[in-house]
Amino acid sequence: MVLSSSGMRRRQSKTDISQVLAAVTSAAAAFLLMPEIFLGGDGQSRIFLLAEAFDSSDRGGNALIPSSFNVGIAVAVTTMAGITLAATLVYSSRRRRRKHALLAKQWNGLFDVDGRLFDGGVKFLKKTRTGGVEPSIRVEVWPFLLGMYDLKSSKSDRDAIKAKKRREYAELRKQCRQISKRGEKSFKLKEASENNSNGDGEDKSQVSDSSSLDEATSVRPSRSSEVSNSSIELNGRRELVEQKEDDGENTTENICKTETDMLDPDSFDDLEDTKPLLTSTEMEDDKLYEPIYSALGNLTMRSVSYKVEDFVTWQRIIRLDAIRANAEWVIYSPCQVSVSEEKAHQLAESVRLKDYDHLEPSRVYHACRLVAILEAYAVYDSEIGYCQGMSDLLSPIISVIEEDDVAFWCFVGFMRRARHNFRLDEVGIRRQLNIVSKIIKCKDSHLYRHLEKLQAEDCFFVYRMVVVLFRKELTFEQTLCLWEVMWADQAAIRAGIIKCAWRWLRLRLRAPPTEDLLLYAIAASVLQKRRLIIDNYSSMDEIMKECNSMAGHLDVWKLLDDAHDLVVTFHDKI
Amino acid sequence: MGRRADDEYDYLFKVVLIGDSGVGKSNLLSRFTRNEFCLESKSTIGVEFATRTLQVEGRTVKAQIWDTAGQERYRAITSAYYRGALGALLVYDVTKPTTFENVSRWLKELRDHADSNIVIMLIGNKTDLKHLRAVATEDAQSFAEREGLSFIETSALEATNVEKAFQTILSEIYRIISKKPLSSDEPAANIKEGKTLVVGPQDTDTKKTCCSTS
Repeated sequence: MVLSSSGMRRRQSKTDISQVLAAVTSAAAAFLLMPEIFLGGDGQSRIFLLAEAFDSSDRGGNALIPSSFNVGIAVAVTTMAGITLAATLVYSSRRRRRKHALLAKQWNGLFDVDGRLFDGGVKFLKKTRTGGVEPSIRVEVWPFLLGMYDLKSSKSDRDAIKAKKRREYAELRKQCRQISKRGEKSFKLKEASENNSNGDGEDKSQVSDSSSLDEATSVRPSRSSEVSNSSIELNGRRELVEQKEDDGENTTENICKTETDMLDPDSFDDLEDTKPLLTSTEMEDDKLYEPIYSALGNLTMRSVSYKVEDFVTWQRIIRLDAIRANAEWVIYSPCQVSVSEEKAHQLAESVRLKDYDHLEPSRVYHACRLVAILEAYAVYDSEIGYCQGMSDLLSPIISVIEEDDVAFWCFVGFMRRARHNFRLDEVGIRRQLNIVSKIIKCKDSHLYRHLEKLQAEDCFFVYRMVVVLFRKELTFEQTLCLWEVMWADQAAIRAGIIKCAWRWLRLRLRAPPTEDLLLYAIAASVLQKRRLIIDNYSSMDEIMKECNSMAGHLDVWKLLDDAHDLVVTFHDKI
Repeated sequence: MGRRADDEYDYLFKVVLIGDSGVGKSNLLSRFTRNEFCLESKSTIGVEFATRTLQVEGRTVKAQIWDTAGQERYRAITSAYYRGALGALLVYDVTKPTTFENVSRWLKELRDHADSNIVIMLIGNKTDLKHLRAVATEDAQSFAEREGLSFIETSALEATNVEKAFQTILSEIYRIISKKPLSSDEPAANIKEGKTLVVGPQDTDTKKTCCSTS
């Protein structure tokens, strides 16, 4: 576009008012002089085109100028009073900078003498929703954001919860070791018996393996409800109980010791006293954690039918992914980097991690923690088990939170919603792609028609952004900011703050909390590229390539601003 | 819209990479398209692709190579992955027997989702790890013959046979395409539009594929 060239592109921050005025005047003049450039759209898109000329970002088109900005431009164009627009510009360029994060001092000041958040967490969430959290307090704040601690809990409530959660996590870890041990045995048995029955002598290994794999394939879609067939009915629970009885001192227990000792030397004294699985009464007692516990409730029933073969597969893929986890976190977690080689290798042995020779101790340690927690999660939520991408969601959490049990329960809180991304039936992904599509349709019919023409209106091209919640497109720090803001929205909804204190929250941020903030942000990232997509791309492949290459080029706060603007406009329509 | 000079080609061939997680699909892709190898490459999420334009049998072919996560769970959502694919590189890791054992499952996957005439090549990757080899070349070779697949062993790390693997499958695709009624005088009109090209059974000199059933 003619207007967007020359002196219109400016640096984003600290804009000199005189430059702004010059830009305003020339752009507005150009608008008046060359109206034909803007033909072909409705009034709003015309304003958009002009706004694009002013847009300080250097990335192609930008469909998401704040509405106040639009109004500001309209006024300026009509009256030629550049000052109004200048004010709007300055305002909006400030809006695109990060708002102030919740600071440690502020956070500590939010608690009363019992260690309870003063106002049920309203102020805390309000602050986090607009600016995220200062890195130094993330470790304290995330358990609240992710539902491990209730917003109304006191310090002593939390101590009790923490102790209980720690035991539960230790129990899950123990189950992992037992299942995998049993699984290996059973897998070998099964293999042997199949080889015997397939006595045609031709390429036994292939025959047996392909059939066992087919079997695994065919049972998977209905895993939660099927009745197991006897040859592979080696399930977690019953076997666990049996094994517990006949397992004396053995290597598993030694491994268990090693691992737990390393994680926390003095917290597992009562390990042997814990029940094999969490009971349902225990769940009912725990009202605070209802959302999380409902998943656990399902587990109790589900685990009866899940297959060890699946767990073995998960274990293999978990290790593969753990070894090649993103190492971006290293510079943000100096204390985890200093782990000794001995400690790292010891832990690797205890979680049976191999092939790590090329990694530094800190990364081996990180990989081990990923393995331990992901395995525990696979037992905890056996419907999902492990799916690639989950390690990308967990890695930032363990980079911030050094205690495995706390990290695990935070991950559980994160997965409460994210687990739908990994469901076999794809319902969760389809629903979300559908919402992104709807947002784009509502906001920008021109772009949507273009997508339809390319048969790309299903928005499959943002698949990766949905699955791992922007982790691949944003840097480590950016991802944490986006997630914190998103978690704060979800926490506000969970705590019912959306109803009672919505006006409160609104003072700062016009957008109401939404479960789908991420999807608005994804739509915003696509809309930021609307010009490029409409003008240059003629296939879904090209759009997908563009989306995949956004990594490192996104401004997370601008994205969030745009997303919030979309929420304001469309939250009741989507 | 005018194409840039480096974007001119006679044919566009879509080839998909499949196989278990961690066998080196992404590194084969990066070695072929960018001559890069990354020991610490991350697991692939979603669908990615890269292209390279090269000469195949005297024609300019733009090879569009698609890569995706190896975990089975991602298959269904990525069924679009196979749409229009003319070739598939089925990769296993010569140091991991399970990944070879799973090859039959991947063949079934192709039968279910891909065009029945898709050209398939079996690739045993990571031959640089000589001391860890666990799948014998002969076993894979005889398996490939039984299933009517081409076969090659590669090392993306050492760049061994990677070029050859891609050249072979692209040539094979070309030989099939060029025999179609869609003559090579008006090359690739359909292919460029990304439509699935149905390759007929008259292509006798190509290796029989495994896809005649189900």
